[in-house]
Amino acid sequence: MPVEVWDIRPALAPMVSFVCALLVFIGGSRAGWRRFWSMSAALLKFIIVASMLPGTVGGVAYTFRFAEFAPGIGIGFRADALGMAFATVSSLLWVVATVYSIGYMKGERSLGRFFGFFALCVSATVALALAENLLTLFIFYEVLTISAYPLVVHDETPEALRAGRTYFTYTLTGGGVILLGIAMTYVVSDGVLAFGHNGIVPPDTTPAVLAILFVMLTLGFGVKAAIMPLHGWLPRAMVAPTPVSALLHAVAVVKAGAFGVVRTVHDVFGVELLRQTWLPDALAYLAAFTIIAASVMALLQDNLKRRLAYSTVSQLSYVLLGIALLNPWAAVAAVVHIANQAVQKVTMFFAAGAIQRTTGKTNISEMSGIGRRMPATMGAFGVAALGFTGMPLLAGFISKWHMSVGGFDSGMWWVALVMAASALLNAAYWFPMLYLAFFKPVSEEPTLGEARPSLLYPTLVCAVLVILLGLVSDLPGMPLSIARTAVAQAFGM
Amino acid sequence: MSEWPGQLLVSVLALPVTGAALCLPLHRISDRVATAWTLLVTTVTCAGAFMVSVRVSHVGPFSHHLGGWLAPWGIELRADQFGALVGLAAPVFALVVFYGVRYSRHAVEAARRGPYDALLLINLGGLLGFSFTGDLFNLFVFMELFSLSAYALVAYGKQKVAAAASFRYLVMGAFSSLLVLFSIGLLYQLTGTLNMADMAYRLADGVPHRPVVLAFGALALGFMTKAAVFPLHLWLPDAHAAAPSPVSAILSGLVVKMGIVGLIRTYDIFQGAGGVDLPTFNMGLSTLGAIAIVFGAVLALIQDDIKLMLAYSTVSNIGYIAVGLGLFNESGLTGASIHIFNHAVIKAALFLALGALTFRTGYRTVSDLRGIGRRMPITVGALSVAVISVVGVPPTAGFVTKWYLAVGAVAAARPLLAATLVFSALVMLIYYLRIVNAFYFRPAVHEEVERAVDPPLDMLAPVVLLSGASLALGLIAQVPIGIALPGVMRLLGGG
Repeated sequence: MPVEVWDIRPALAPMVSFVCALLVFIGGSRAGWRRFWSMSAALLKFIIVASMLPGTVGGVAYTFRFAEFAPGIGIGFRADALGMAFATVSSLLWVVATVYSIGYMKGERSLGRFFGFFALCVSATVALALAENLLTLFIFYEVLTISAYPLVVHDETPEALRAGRTYFTYTLTGGGVILLGIAMTYVVSDGVLAFGHNGIVPPDTTPAVLAILFVMLTLGFGVKAAIMPLHGWLPRAMVAPTPVSALLHAVAVVKAGAFGVVRTVHDVFGVELLRQTWLPDALAYLAAFTIIAASVMALLQDNLKRRLAYSTVSQLSYVLLGIALLNPWAAVAAVVHIANQAVQKVTMFFAAGAIQRTTGKTNISEMSGIGRRMPATMGAFGVAALGFTGMPLLAGFISKWHMSVGGFDSGMWWVALVMAASALLNAAYWFPMLYLAFFKPVSEEPTLGEARPSLLYPTLVCAVLVILLGLVSDLPGMPLSIARTAVAQAFGM
Repeated sequence: MSEWPGQLLVSVLALPVTGAALCLPLHRISDRVATAWTLLVTTVTCAGAFMVSVRVSHVGPFSHHLGGWLAPWGIELRADQFGALVGLAAPVFALVVFYGVRYSRHAVEAARRGPYDALLLINLGGLLGFSFTGDLFNLFVFMELFSLSAYALVAYGKQKVAAAASFRYLVMGAFSSLLVLFSIGLLYQLTGTLNMADMAYRLADGVPHRPVVLAFGALALGFMTKAAVFPLHLWLPDAHAAAPSPVSAILSGLVVKMGIVGLIRTYDIFQGAGGVDLPTFNMGLSTLGAIAIVFGAVLALIQDDIKLMLAYSTVSNIGYIAVGLGLFNESGLTGASIHIFNHAVIKAALFLALGALTFRTGYRTVSDLRGIGRRMPITVGALSVAVISVVGVPPTAGFVTKWYLAVGAVAAARPLLAATLVFSALVMLIYYLRIVNAFYFRPAVHEEVERAVDPPLDMLAPVVLLSGASLALGLIAQVPIGIALPGVMRLLGGG
């Protein structure tokens, strides 16, 4: 167990960016002000989160609790390894995403609103990552749900409004189920909701209550993690501007769902308790089904963003599968995949956005020869795509490797088959596109060249991260090492 | 006997009622002076009531015996935890009156403004007196004060329905007052006392007695009508929608809550009374509450008139409180009692924000107010925050209530009730979204909307303060909870 040290930083990180977000709202009509505070929010938060990394590596969990909200439960923050894994990734990618969206959104309207809610979203994400108890996690989970809505409907078209309504219907219903689950947990555990004890639910709970609780919490969080058949909102939410899609699909919203499931398994029930039930197996089968089925769906999409969306649905279930196997190797895969998938998917979304802004193309079939026109952008895209197919030395491989080992280790050989099938399917829907982009002749005459620097450089930075996460991910403070610490704590090793 | 808290209690009750008497002559002299006087009296009274609440939260309930005559013989003023929750909400009243100064210049013609101010002050006196009395007959007198002034205030509405709505409100209100009075007479006959604590003591012998049950039934029914618990809510939507916006805020935020406070007093009195089957009553109350939640939510979402929507939302929110009372366990009662306060803040914010939109544009329906979000960003922003709070999304005040009620329902092993609580609020949010979408994301259809700007500071500040409070109270929920909890324990018989 990590040593708890009283420190304000876990609370400070989200608070600083909440304040910056408010400032963005207040003076958001002026571009300079907006840019300054958006960047400040992103940078300050990243610095605060990063400053806690050495502590995490050294086995310290910084903790900060506010006054109690009710007997036994309060708003509290605690930077344990699992939370830090998620918080570090989202705050780092937010810095990159902010630069990118300043470039991408130039000339659009309602930018004060856009950047304000953008900042709110990531503040809420870091707050829920560092939440000390289930109720705090839920509070910020819902703040995230609400603040992502204005981003989804940013274009204000009827289609966007419809997508927004679908998004709200799914996520808020999921939130309601989670709330009921938490209330039930609170009653069952006699008022305890704090993480960090390898399980809140008492071991003598009846199997029926355990099953109801598990189903409510995993499916409730599963809505945002887009586990099939609860994924319907995600492809539709693609109408949002591309930086939002990147944020929603890689960093904030969907990962909050996956993270919630990880917390549920590790900190609400505990590995020991779940081992005695059939519940995690059911989750594992559902996740495996999602991995394959969503990849097949992705094959059928011609619109690049929709293909990316289904790919996200598939990739998120890696996290769920890894956590459901209750095996240390697989759990490492799950936690590290939160980072790996985020970086790879952000790269691809950034590239897709850069293509869209530079050439106006959104469908894959129109992208013939685009690699010759925009070699750097498509190169970055290719690196991420290779990562998803599990190519060694890239980020995705780390996840797939740990997952497969975990599968064999826990006697579930079919997991390795799922990994292999998923790699093949990823290759099936990304390679033809890369071929089209690099080897087919340019479809139209005017050559526009690369995207503008504010779009290109963030994309390249992300691509470099994909490579780094494949090469040196086990250095202290990098995702793999943090994931190992988190898993060691959850498994009591 | 003459310690300051007791004197404070007396002045908080006496000041608004006597102050009201001065309103009319002052109005003859000058409109400005009368307004200043109303503001002064309201502020001092509300500050006093707030101090009473602070005192209750620090040292517990306290009493003052008028003229030094002790409890069963003399008249007792008593500030307990539930009264303190109303006292805590008194600043809401003051903010509404501040807001109302400019609004009433626009909504009420000059000749009727004197009585309007007087009625407001009488209403305030009635509300506080009702909450801070230990004597059942005085309870009735104060109830009539706030009820009669409320009927009259509704009639100030400009629409044609105002008179009819006021009349319907009057009929239902008179019916409920009659029931309460009947019950009080019966109880006096049975126990020979009018002091509530003494009455509870004398009824606690546990001997089943049919008139006791009758008295309980009449009292509970009377207060349920005042609180507009489904299906006794019929008077509410029109009355609250027809009144001028500041009045609507007071009616929805505070006046209907008096029925709830009355119900809590009923529990206090009949706690140990023989023959009164409280568990069955509670089961019925929580079921009615659940129906009210769904019914109010469904009717709210088919309205185009936002004021009617807010009025039905009050029916729904009273349902929440009824569910909490009916659960009658620690979490349920805590949720219900803090919602007395929370809902006062939230609903006042909503009505005042909407009033500001109407003040600037003259419109009050969703379809007419399209596109207003860009023109009046602060007002609509405040409205949106209050909307999020009223449907109970974290981290707002409404969420705290929902959390307590959900835990209470789960603890009472009533999952269906818990699900109703959580999901009806979601249904509402999806449809409240209609308002937000229309305000922010749809083009304006009226020129008045295009030209509108945020209202002047004296109207804007109360809106922003109340809306901010409906958000902040989710984070500092321990303040109302700390006040309510000892009272809840007392009701549960734990101290």
